[in-house]
Amino acid sequence: MTSGKDLSERALGALLLAPAAALLLVIVVYPIATLFWNSLHAVDNANPAAGETFVAFANYARAFDDERFWRSTWNTVLYVVVTVPGALVVGLALALLANLPFRIKWPVRLGLLLPWALPLVFAGLIFRWFFEYRTGVVNDWLGRLGVEPLQWLSSPTLAFIAISIAIVWKASSFMALILLAGLQTIPRSLYEAAEVDGATRWQQFWEITLPMLAPSIFVALIFRTITAVQTFDIPFAMTGGGPGDSTETLAMYIYKTTLDFLDFGYGSALAALMFLLSLIATSAYLRHTNRA
Amino acid sequence: MPRRNIVVWFAALVVAVNGFFPAVWILLTSFKTETELIQSPITYWPHAPTLANYDAAFTAQPILRFMLNSLVVASLSTALCVLVGALAAYALTRLRLAHRNLIMSLLLAVAMFPLISLMVPLFKLMRELGLLNTYLALILPYAVLSLPVCTLVMASFFQDIPADLEAAAMVDGCSRVGALFRVVMPLAAPGVFTAAILAFVNAWDEFLLALTMMNRVNMRTLSVGITLYQGEFAFPWPLISAALIIAIVPICILIAVFQERVVGGLTQGGVKG
Repeated sequence: MTSGKDLSERALGALLLAPAAALLLVIVVYPIATLFWNSLHAVDNANPAAGETFVAFANYARAFDDERFWRSTWNTVLYVVVTVPGALVVGLALALLANLPFRIKWPVRLGLLLPWALPLVFAGLIFRWFFEYRTGVVNDWLGRLGVEPLQWLSSPTLAFIAISIAIVWKASSFMALILLAGLQTIPRSLYEAAEVDGATRWQQFWEITLPMLAPSIFVALIFRTITAVQTFDIPFAMTGGGPGDSTETLAMYIYKTTLDFLDFGYGSALAALMFLLSLIATSAYLRHTNRA
Repeated sequence: MPRRNIVVWFAALVVAVNGFFPAVWILLTSFKTETELIQSPITYWPHAPTLANYDAAFTAQPILRFMLNSLVVASLSTALCVLVGALAAYALTRLRLAHRNLIMSLLLAVAMFPLISLMVPLFKLMRELGLLNTYLALILPYAVLSLPVCTLVMASFFQDIPADLEAAAMVDGCSRVGALFRVVMPLAAPGVFTAAILAFVNAWDEFLLALTMMNRVNMRTLSVGITLYQGEFAFPWPLISAALIIAIVPICILIAVFQERVVGGLTQGGVKG
């Protein structure tokens, strides 16, 4: 292989990567740079006519004293801690069920695809209605079981539970699709050998299925964690952050700060802090991959 | 064997009911009247089925216009994403590049950046470019947001195509880029298709940017348009249900027609990606 060919191969590579690089520069890199720049600016209340002036890290300092920032961050962490394992357990159960040998495959396939393809905000609206006090179907079922109807969306704790249920329902189907892929790569011979050795179904699940599924579970968890940190649509549609701002997530607070209060500098600082949060959440996984 | 059959049937039922019950519930409600809705105890099957809600859904908001907007934005952003992603995936898998792993990691880092953080700078950028309330304001970001995952999915499929086939095409007078479009892409069709479906569904579902970039009613996409049906204090559920049913028809057709290839493509891509 001549060096001339190497060069042309490198030139072709650069040419093929150029469109992707250009798009990423305009749509991601430039906005990130302006985000950090904006986060160092604010409108001076004493002299609003001057527009946004440089304030160094004042916006970040403000966040540390902002109770609403801490509450919405705490809520976001709670959603991550509850819905990531929740969606994993439900998704794994769905994947195990969907992996059984069906003669007619379409009801199961569509049963997994429909929640995945449904826009988040639609899922939020539908579940909001399931949890309505008087006309909701959840209170109707509770009533049949002899339980008093609950004010699902006007109590902070119950609203958190209702939103988490909606998120888990919506997120578990994509989890299930990824895990189903993993399940289908496990060779049947492993189970046959285990059967010969007299292993029970339960032992087979713990000794074969779970270890073999680990890479898929890992991919599914990373995806879910990244999206859970950004939780916005479902609480936005179900409670709008209420009652009060008890179910507000960090993403919702950033949205309100920038687009409702038009406080771009502070909103940018909050967004930068959110990036930090998602880095912390995913770095745990990335450290695991580096070790593996 | 019969006991095993029952287990399989039960499993199918659980998965299907879990997936379908919200859609079935809004379908039933879309045929109910407001008065039936507030009856206590609530009814499941509509007593006096009516199509009035569908009538109202079409007249209360320009829902067909929302649908057109969603279709235009989702299809064009998907086309852009798959085209640009295919070129990048080809370079990353078939050429000997110096910083291959670094480029791959950078792509993943982009996927991790929260959309909400990009929202404000993107809003300002689009405002300066005069692109607010145009399709481009959503097409460009949507194409880029799906670019990392689409590139990685296509790369995993490109990797499996024997280099000999490509070499043969080039001996026959194909250029390298010609070989990409005539040999590699057709052979990796399932991967390209999976990438396209992922990008399309992502764009179709997106809410936050659509809410920010388009504030003229006629430019709203479906995911935002649906929220316009709610009143200030009251939720006209039968009307919203009818609108939701209209809104999910296109995506339901899409997944029903392509269900086998979607699940197949996702499972293949997922294993490798």
